[in-house]
Amino acid sequence: MTSKIINMAERIKDAEDRLLESMFESVPVADDGFSISVVRKLRRRLWLRRLTLPIAAAVGALFAVKPLAGLVTTLAGLSVLVPQNIVSATSNLIPQAQTIALGAVLLAVCLLGLRALEE
Amino acid sequence: MSFGEDHELIARVVSAQDTAAFGELVRRHQSQVRNFLRKLAGDVTLADDLAQDCFIHAWDKLQTFSGRGTFIGWLLKVAYTTFLQSRRKSKRYAEILQEAGTVADLESRNYTVQSDEVTDLDRFLAVLSEEERAIMVMSYACGLSHREISDATSMPVGTVKSVIFRGKQKIRKSFDIKDHQHG
Repeated sequence: MTSKIINMAERIKDAEDRLLESMFESVPVADDGFSISVVRKLRRRLWLRRLTLPIAAAVGALFAVKPLAGLVTTLAGLSVLVPQNIVSATSNLIPQAQTIALGAVLLAVCLLGLRALEE
Repeated sequence: MSFGEDHELIARVVSAQDTAAFGELVRRHQSQVRNFLRKLAGDVTLADDLAQDCFIHAWDKLQTFSGRGTFIGWLLKVAYTTFLQSRRKSKRYAEILQEAGTVADLESRNYTVQSDEVTDLDRFLAVLSEEERAIMVMSYACGLSHREISDATSMPVGTVKSVIFRGKQKIRKSFDIKDHQHG
């Protein structure tokens, strides 16, 4: 008797669940460019993120130019206190330093270009 | 380009930030996510905006998907969180407007259907609370198991079951389903 009641209760529950499922059933939503717009939004965000760091670095460099120039001038003034052999070694290094700096900038530009091409 | 199973696409997104693979995932699951949010929000435009936000959040958090449950279960969890966050924001917005002395439409927090046609389902959903609506939709519209709903809503399985029971009772009470069912 008890098991009959339990079975009946389960059957009723199942019927109710099926009814609810049919009520909640909905027609599939057509994509209609939704996924494309999500991907486009995502790519825009990725680009913005990638550009943020170089732009921030450029802005920072702009602000840092003046104090850096002052620092270099001050250091140049101090060079009279440095022994002569060290001064001559530094002057030999200057052309190489310029080449290194140029190389670093070119490398950074190439890396950014490669990442853009990858995208 | 051919795409494999969901887990292959997920691996490509996580390892190579592959937006094309993610686009395919969006294409596969957008219908369920948008339907879920439409039923939850009761407004097609708002729901579609939330669905976009949901997929953006999903992109950001995809590495946290462990692969234990189904991907759609995880995605609906993100969608539900996005919905709750937007609700919180609009509630706060209404409060600020009220504080500023503007009459805010606090009724907008309730479920209102932004459509000319009100279906039986809309009437069903209107009698449920927000939490009950979300859980009932996950269970009956999206076919999620109690365990998956528990994961999505961060509620114990027992609570999920009792919310479903309560929701069913409310629907039964409001629409006399039992009588209809048994003739």
